[in-house]
Amino acid sequence: MGSSAKRKKEKQKDFQKPKLRVGKAKAKPENFTDTSFKSKGITLNQQSLTLNAPTTTTQFTHHLSLLTSKSDSQRRDSLAHLTTHISSKPSTAPLPTPVSTLLPTLSPLILDANSGVRTNLLKLLRALPAADVADHVVQLMPYIRAGMTHLAPDIRVTAVDILSWLLGIAGEEVVGCAGGWIKTLNCFLSVLGWHTEESAKWSANRAAFGKAGAKGRPMVRVVGVLGEFLDAGVGEVEGDVVMGGKVGDGGGGAGVPVVQMETHMVAKAAQPYVYLNLFGSPRDEEGEMYETREERWRVFQGRFLGPVERGLESARQEGGEVGRASTTVTKVLKEAIEYGRGVGYDA
Amino acid sequence: MVKRKLGALEKVEADLPNLQHKIRRDPKSYIEDFRAQHYQYESHREIFMAAPASTTETGLISLRELIDFLAHVADCYPQITKEFPQQLIDILSQHHLILQPELREKIVGSLVLLRKKELLDSATLLQTLFPILISTPSKTLRALVFQKILMDLRSSNAKATNHKLNRIMQTVLFNLVTSDRTSSKGLWAIKLTRELWKRQIWSDAKAVEVMKEASLAQNEKVVVGGVRFFLGGDKEREEMEDESSDDEAIDMGQVRHQAGINKKTRSNARAVAKARAAVKKKERKKSQPHPLNFSALHLLHDPQGYAESLFSKHLQNTKSKLNLDQKLLVLQLITRLVGLHKLHIMHLYSYFQKYLTPRQPSVTSFLASLAQASHDLVPPDDLEPLVQKIANEFVSEASASEVASAGLNAIREICARQPLAMNETLLQDLVMYRKSKDKGVMMAGRGLLSLFREVGPEMLKRRDRGKDASIGLRSGDRKEKRFAEEAAGGIEGLELLEKYKDEERRKKRREAGLPSDGEDDEDEEANWDAWNVDDDEDSDDSGDWVNVQSDVEIDFSDSEDEKDGPPSKKAKSKSTEESKDEDAPAEDKEEESAEAKFSKLATTRILTPADLAKLQELRTEAAVNALVPGAKGRQANQNATRHRDDPLTAEEIEGLAALSAGKQTREERIAHAREGKTEQHKSVTAKRKERKEDQGKSTTNKEKARRKNFLMTLGKAKSKNKRSLVQTRAVLKAHADRARRGGRRGNVGCVN
Repeated sequence: MGSSAKRKKEKQKDFQKPKLRVGKAKAKPENFTDTSFKSKGITLNQQSLTLNAPTTTTQFTHHLSLLTSKSDSQRRDSLAHLTTHISSKPSTAPLPTPVSTLLPTLSPLILDANSGVRTNLLKLLRALPAADVADHVVQLMPYIRAGMTHLAPDIRVTAVDILSWLLGIAGEEVVGCAGGWIKTLNCFLSVLGWHTEESAKWSANRAAFGKAGAKGRPMVRVVGVLGEFLDAGVGEVEGDVVMGGKVGDGGGGAGVPVVQMETHMVAKAAQPYVYLNLFGSPRDEEGEMYETREERWRVFQGRFLGPVERGLESARQEGGEVGRASTTVTKVLKEAIEYGRGVGYDA
Repeated sequence: MVKRKLGALEKVEADLPNLQHKIRRDPKSYIEDFRAQHYQYESHREIFMAAPASTTETGLISLRELIDFLAHVADCYPQITKEFPQQLIDILSQHHLILQPELREKIVGSLVLLRKKELLDSATLLQTLFPILISTPSKTLRALVFQKILMDLRSSNAKATNHKLNRIMQTVLFNLVTSDRTSSKGLWAIKLTRELWKRQIWSDAKAVEVMKEASLAQNEKVVVGGVRFFLGGDKEREEMEDESSDDEAIDMGQVRHQAGINKKTRSNARAVAKARAAVKKKERKKSQPHPLNFSALHLLHDPQGYAESLFSKHLQNTKSKLNLDQKLLVLQLITRLVGLHKLHIMHLYSYFQKYLTPRQPSVTSFLASLAQASHDLVPPDDLEPLVQKIANEFVSEASASEVASAGLNAIREICARQPLAMNETLLQDLVMYRKSKDKGVMMAGRGLLSLFREVGPEMLKRRDRGKDASIGLRSGDRKEKRFAEEAAGGIEGLELLEKYKDEERRKKRREAGLPSDGEDDEDEEANWDAWNVDDDEDSDDSGDWVNVQSDVEIDFSDSEDEKDGPPSKKAKSKSTEESKDEDAPAEDKEEESAEAKFSKLATTRILTPADLAKLQELRTEAAVNALVPGAKGRQANQNATRHRDDPLTAEEIEGLAALSAGKQTREERIAHAREGKTEQHKSVTAKRKERKEDQGKSTTNKEKARRKNFLMTLGKAKSKNKRSLVQTRAVLKAHADRARRGGRRGNVGCVN
């Protein structure tokens, strides 16, 4: 029996597991082959060796292409690089690539999942020359609207921030572009939850879906931007005065007895005849362009005045920061109503 | 600082499936969220419409996911999503060429989903999908769309036939086939129609019309598709039906047994209920009358015109692009139509003239087609030169034996359909081949001989006629059939029923102790009372007049089955009329004996549903018996079992040519012998064991002991060694005792 026990033990030895210990190197297996080697130099067959560094322009385009990269940090860093590049160059020098080619790659980033990317995007957008952006508001707006109704609250807030920036530099274009008025207002109502009477109440048992975000803050921000938006759309316009002055200038400066010459010339906007919608698909009521204050007021009064007033009322009652923000909006609204009376649309 | 705990929902950034689930449960509370997502979709759609071809994945959520989400919850908010189906349709039909494949498939799937939720009607869906099916170059999309169209048609025809939709679809297909005859797009119409025909969803003349137009197209593929449908579509349908009827055989006993043994869970109970419902449904289906579906060949309008245009367009036309195989298919269809509907196409037989040489490729198919095209209304003058040509070209001592046997078989098949195509001298020559040394030729010669013993013995030499034919000729029973003479018709298998009834009656009488040949009218009368309302003799000659007896008698006769009473009156008067019409021409003198019997049954009795069922049974039985090799020759059987609709194939013409192919090698013979057998040899016990296991029966104790794990038996084996003599004796004694008793449980309750 002794011999058999011994044999058993011997056999068992073969199948014993090696013990692994923390901090110790893993034991090499028996059949391990050492493949390391020493050499004085390594020659690579294919390697591009350029002596001069890439130009700033190529770097710029390279980083632009990296914006669609899969990695979050890569996108963020590229955005940061682009921002510094744009802001550091003299303001008279043109961009390496025009805004019209920049925006198609930038605008999808509004919906980016990573917050760092979005913050950097906002910085980059702020660095862009305002006049160039104003021509491309139409392309930017659908992304902003998509962002405003996004499931993730952080993206909603970013979208609202971007809208605020855009209103700052091109308020007239934002509210006047195709779908810019009704659709955006719809989005605002949806973000604030003011669509129906029931859901607008502060006590409404509204099941909030998804991450709530920082408490209260987003609401304040959205209400504030709504104020800006309404101001741009139906608020007091200094343009009237300016236009009057211009007319005077045009008439007086030329010295020709042509009054209001400006109106007879081709408009200075990038796409002067876009309102004719010659090449696009037919638009419905929501997607229509509302170019004048009067039109916008008519639409607003018919569709949104009720819900907005209701929502503002409840926000005022809520008090605090939200309440304070709501008063500025209320002010804008009051002016607009006054204006509406003047034009002949009674509230 | 303690980390704030996050709720499950807060962790997810953008989870549409989660929202979808919540909306499903409580649509009202989540309306704002849904509205937001709808705006989101609108914005994404706007972005997409600006550049449909671009492949930018925008962030977390793509348009595809949004479409999926909206389609799933659209039924909760019909007001908000009013335009959604139309938008999807627009996207798909405008941009399907450039869409990403995934998005495209998602849109198709969503449309079908919306159809299921009834937010979209079938006609619109089909009108959207069908143009895409025809025009898209993507194979996967075509497959998907085809499957969806088919599924939609099936589901909308599932409960009741949706005639309106079918009509629309058939019209679309018809227009597709007829609008551009040169394009291959008609293939889709063919594919769809064939599939629906196979599943018996479409079984009307309109579907056949589509196929007819397809086979008259100019594109070869379309032509072949249409022709193949007529040649094989009905067979496919039958096979499909057979498959579906025997696929899900549920053994209810087993299910119930298992439910008794296994753990009782709700899902198990549900499975049992489901099985029960399935069985019940199946039984109900079995008792339902068989749907009367005509074959496609019978549903054709104007077969004569169709066959003629097929012939002139594809075969006679020298510019036709069909190759030989395709032409043969067309020829098969034409000849089948000719044989089935007894048509006459002027130049068809002269067309064959050219192809009847042994060197012609696939000549047996031509021969089969020719035989198929001959029927008893073909003028013998048309066929005679062809028969002569076959005899000259194929049948001679010099030609190869396969060729000769094929020729003889072809001649036999032609003459079976039109005996007048044969003349006496030729026949007597051909019959001589039965003496050939080659087996195939010999069998073919014999076949011809036995055929003519039946149809025209006077053309044979006296010594070849055989006993039956000679007697028949002498007694004048057999009469030469004239051209286009129609035999009197009867009810097939009626004599079988008569015989069966007679036997039954004798048996009954024998049991009752009466002489078996005696008459028992009152018994019969009683039987008939069960079915007939008034069983009096004068009803036969009263035609459609019905004698109404006193109320009492009617009550009495109705007592057994009241429902059948009133209509049977009508049925009877009608059927007597019919049967009278039937045997009016049947009063030929020479067929007196056989015909008399038949007329007796058909005119004196009314065939009850039970009788008809029995008749059907006897017919099938006779057909099965005919297949069993017995007294009758094989050739006669073949003709008996063949249905008029069945095609004649080239294999039948080749017939026993395999026999004349010369001696097989040893390997071939072994392979031939092995053909039908299973691979391995197995002992009888092994087979029995296998069968037992298949039936799910348990094993014997002995077997269990044998299979017991070795380690489990070790302990007992060890202790067995250590037993004392006394212990061993006790054990053995107990064993013997137990064996006498019949096991541990004993033979209690056992009969023996």
